[in-house]
Amino acid sequence: MISTTLMKQTIKANFSLWVILTGVQAAMVSLIASTGIPVQSTGQIYYNMLPGLLSAVYVIITSNKLIASQVDKGTMAYILSTPVKRLKVAVTQITFFIGSLFLMFVISAGAHILSDYIAMGDINSSDIQIILLLNLGLFVLNMAFSGICFLTSCIFNLSKYVVAVGGGIVGAFLLLSIMAMFGETFQYMKNFTIVSLYDISSITETSSNFIWKFIVLAGIGAVTYIVSMVAFTKRDLPL
Amino acid sequence: MDEMIKIKNLTKDFGEGRGIFDVDLNIKKGEVFGLVGINGSGKTTIMRHLMGFLHPDKGNTSIMDKDCWKKAAELKKYVGYIPGEISFPDTHSGMDFLKLQADYMGLKSMAYAEELIDHLNLDATAKLKRMSKGMKQKIAIVNAFMYNSDILLLDEATTGLDPLMQKSFTEIIKNEKKKGKTIFMSSHMFDEMENSCDRVAFLKNGKIIHVVDMETIRGNEKLKEYKIEFNNKDDYNKFSKQPFNITRRQDEYNQVNIHIWDKDINKLFNVLSMLDVRFISHQPYTLEKCFKEIYNNTEVA
Repeated sequence: MISTTLMKQTIKANFSLWVILTGVQAAMVSLIASTGIPVQSTGQIYYNMLPGLLSAVYVIITSNKLIASQVDKGTMAYILSTPVKRLKVAVTQITFFIGSLFLMFVISAGAHILSDYIAMGDINSSDIQIILLLNLGLFVLNMAFSGICFLTSCIFNLSKYVVAVGGGIVGAFLLLSIMAMFGETFQYMKNFTIVSLYDISSITETSSNFIWKFIVLAGIGAVTYIVSMVAFTKRDLPL
Repeated sequence: MDEMIKIKNLTKDFGEGRGIFDVDLNIKKGEVFGLVGINGSGKTTIMRHLMGFLHPDKGNTSIMDKDCWKKAAELKKYVGYIPGEISFPDTHSGMDFLKLQADYMGLKSMAYAEELIDHLNLDATAKLKRMSKGMKQKIAIVNAFMYNSDILLLDEATTGLDPLMQKSFTEIIKNEKKKGKTIFMSSHMFDEMENSCDRVAFLKNGKIIHVVDMETIRGNEKLKEYKIEFNNKDDYNKFSKQPFNITRRQDEYNQVNIHIWDKDINKLFNVLSMLDVRFISHQPYTLEKCFKEIYNNTEVA
């Protein structure tokens, strides 16, 4: 279902940005963890803001590069002048996108666990569970973000619209969630952003409230990715 | 399967009169078929339908009796393509790009590619980003031909090539024709079409206004056009009174253009032998002339 030739190309084209952002994320979480802060507190100090922003940068830029910019520039013509189906192109790009995001948070979780272990000399299994869930949450949040951006990449012919619309939606969600942190007056803004579905306090307090929210985020991702595939296979391409 | 490419009633309306309307064309196996028209007349739109990039509003296109939209990926095994706009993916050198494409196509040997590179006098190891427009065009040409596909769709294939290279390209087309390839090419270069095509369709505002058989154009016509200039006004006037079919007069130069059948040519010489002629020249009927005549005389709603 995926084209290995295209996958190699895609990895080559997107590797450097992924390395930089994954590296920065892992370095930051290590820095915070190595100060000896309890894992529960890293939720509020670190996880509620920074990783969302960093991965959003990756999602917005990469989603455009995966489809729309290749249609915009016309390079997609060369892929589609070979017996590779459009669906295969979409599935390959989606596989890369989801896979790279998953790996990003696997590394980030690994870095957190490792730094904690080094800083404290020991780590208990409930802490590990919290770290894994915090990162899984970021992954499903990014499933939703990347699905939305990928959909715009499959719909629009021009890169500028993808960045404006996809980036605009994701940026607005993040902005609303950050605004909501500034005191009581702005708290209602929480209700307008999907970032709130990444329920950090529920995870750190080990309630089970976060589970349905994860499912909703993953659902947004699944639906937008499926619609993207249909849109890309059915539409006119100016190549 | 005598007809390789069939375009039936193809319509794609982009609004404001732009697009293509009710295009019907059938291209036979082994035929070199040309499509001419000014910029924006719809040449690329037709190509894009054949490549399965665009979905027709009405009508359909098929290659080897397979629908170009539904069987787009499968058909690419038999089709080589030069896009109208050249823009390559991020690969290092020209050769890297060709190898990448070969990889997609499952092509093992680059021998024919090397041969083409030689023929076009191209340095494929140069960086793609540094290449001139002509060099990039050559890479695109090699890419389209290297798979030895049975069908070739060439959209403005010689853009950016110098006149010598355009000749080399025409040679490549002729070689491919000998191998029995079916070629569908669009261009606004009349020479290129004249030298390689069997038939040429004229496109105006998205409609086919005429299809010419090149046999009728390549100097085989029995009715020829000559331009004659006289050394003095007297002889010019005398000639004008003769019963020849004069199609154009230029009093200030003492020049006339006449149309005359081959069987009547001696009558012309008899008359001319009495007169003081500066020169006489044959005006060959070219594709360009044919196009201009028909183009200007056809109103497209």
